Amino acid sequence: MAHRIGRRKNVKKGFQFTLMVVGASGLGRTTFINTLCDADVVPKRECDEPEMAHVEEAIKIKPYTVELDEDGVKISLTVVDTPGFGDMIDNEYCFQEILGYLERQYDDILSEESRIKRNPRFRDNRVHALLYFITPTGHSLREIDIELMKRLSPRINVIPVVGKADTFTPQELADFKKRVMEDIEHHNIPIYNFPYDPEEDDEETIDENSELRSLLPFALIGCEEEIMVNGRKVRGRQYPWGIVEVDNTQHCDFAKLRFALLSSHLQDLKEITHDYLYENYRTEKLSRSAENLSD
Amino acid sequence: MVSTQAGAGIGIANLPNQRHAIASKKGSNYTILLCGESGLGKTTFINTLFTTTIKTPKTYKRRFNNTAEKTVEIEIIRAELEEKQFGVKLSVVDTPGFGDYTNNRDSWMPIIDFIDDQHESYMRQDQQPQRQELSDMRVHCCLYFIRPTGHTLKPLDIEVMKRLGTRVNLIPVIAKADTLTPTDLHKFKKRILEVIAAQNIQCYTFPLESDDEASTRRNMNIMAAMPFSVIGSTEDVQTVDGRTVKGRQYSWGVAEVENEDHCDFKKLRQLLIRTHMLDLIHSTEETHYENYRRSQMETRKIGEPKVKTVTNPKWKEEEEALRKRFTEQVRLEENRFRSWEQQLIAERDRLNKDLEAEHSHIKALEAELESMQVGLSPKQRK
Repeated sequence: MAHRIGRRKNVKKGFQFTLMVVGASGLGRTTFINTLCDADVVPKRECDEPEMAHVEEAIKIKPYTVELDEDGVKISLTVVDTPGFGDMIDNEYCFQEILGYLERQYDDILSEESRIKRNPRFRDNRVHALLYFITPTGHSLREIDIELMKRLSPRINVIPVVGKADTFTPQELADFKKRVMEDIEHHNIPIYNFPYDPEEDDEETIDENSELRSLLPFALIGCEEEIMVNGRKVRGRQYPWGIVEVDNTQHCDFAKLRFALLSSHLQDLKEITHDYLYENYRTEKLSRSAENLSD
Repeated sequence: MVSTQAGAGIGIANLPNQRHAIASKKGSNYTILLCGESGLGKTTFINTLFTTTIKTPKTYKRRFNNTAEKTVEIEIIRAELEEKQFGVKLSVVDTPGFGDYTNNRDSWMPIIDFIDDQHESYMRQDQQPQRQELSDMRVHCCLYFIRPTGHTLKPLDIEVMKRLGTRVNLIPVIAKADTLTPTDLHKFKKRILEVIAAQNIQCYTFPLESDDEASTRRNMNIMAAMPFSVIGSTEDVQTVDGRTVKGRQYSWGVAEVENEDHCDFKKLRQLLIRTHMLDLIHSTEETHYENYRRSQMETRKIGEPKVKTVTNPKWKEEEEALRKRFTEQVRLEENRFRSWEQQLIAERDRLNKDLEAEHSHIKALEAELESMQVGLSPKQRK
């Protein structure tokens, strides 16, 4: 639909991109969103009354839209936050909530497409990518991590990331990333891994994509405050033993991920969502209703 | 009261020394329970605390051998430590699987049962006629590791801590504290204490007042630091100013275990070992055990077994496996006996046949003999 229009028109009009962020609370999800948008998009979590701390809160789906300017290109970014994921004692319910949301957006497109008179101002709310925050245990993937990625990858591009990566020393981080990717392969989870064709694509594309693939899962550190380091202002976290810089690629993969999401791979993520994931859903749904009709 | 004159004492004042000698010889039992999700540094912490590898770190090679059971296990590691000829029988109880699953409902049951079982076991042994060699695995303190989210305690934490606090000396610990900046840490501690108070969770406390000023101040310092933030490390690293310390080396600096500006490890070690180990042991025996004993005695007679409400599914599986093995072995033995019996029968039949053959042979010979005799006698008569 909208994305098929020529590139020049897009640059003027800007791009639209929807990103969902999922992870247990306390992994830096909210801070990441605010750091990504360089603004206070999601309000800081207000901790409820201590007397109510034992009350389990169900997962909520909250979209926020911001207008960004990336090197002259306008991007209308919608970030869908999912507070409450994994916070209950029994979390079986969370997966269905998120899946339901994703499928509802597909349903909306499906019914819109089948209209005789289409709405020109129809808003495409399909989610193009999901960042899943893995808990930095230092061991390997937990049951809830595997379950979530498995259940959602048929409907959305899943990109695993490690939240609060400043909990790891460089060696620990490398080992953890390796084990996580081994787990993902063992359980056959089809994540978005920056696909490229070794035969068709040019060398630059191949290098770019294999580098991004090697960084999976992306190590993230989030920080909204600026502090002074050697006379310059940086976004970072100040510990008694040193300062961690968000934009320093030696410290974390934030900058690389941001560039991939909002510039280099934005189009690819949208195309896969429309040409492949949505098409699969559409086929499944229509064949199901055909079966129901023929009964 | 009659008091003896100073300088002409009869030696009563020497009693503490004698007690010291007796206690030194006897050594001590010390049981610590570690509770918390995996990946919070529990194993590293214990190894750092005792400066030796009490528990070997996790291996990842077998994580793909899937065990479908989603249970919380109780793992006991025993070690015997000795310092200046005083021996401690240390038991560290770990709880792998706790908090690790999608559904963690009732996952605290095995832990609670374990603590109660130790009190129960001690109580039973104490009621026996012979009670010299008592095996005492009562838990003297429970370290509850909290994930450093920076927000607040989770519903799961609250559920478990409530139940632990009434049974054992509960000490909350903020794990992997090098992930929190000093301001974040301060806010987090404050919020945790608020929740603990509002939810009526009983944490370990000890009398602050002491005979000397220094001890009182030290005690107040320790209490003020709860919940204790910890960083664990068994490795030696170099700091920027050239010291070699136990710590964690990041690209942006070195977090030191024993630096009190970095974490509360030293205070916690003080509490657990140097100054309050005895209080932890005593309060377990005098308060928690007595509470348990009282509540049990009110409803049960001496010698009556405890009513078990929940059976651990893991034990059921073991029981099944044992039953299967037993049945299998019985079947094998039966088969063996049967084939032996058949062999015997076959043997008997064969022997019977031979016997018959011999018998008919003899009969034939007899008949021949008779016929020969009959043939002979008429000749003789002629």
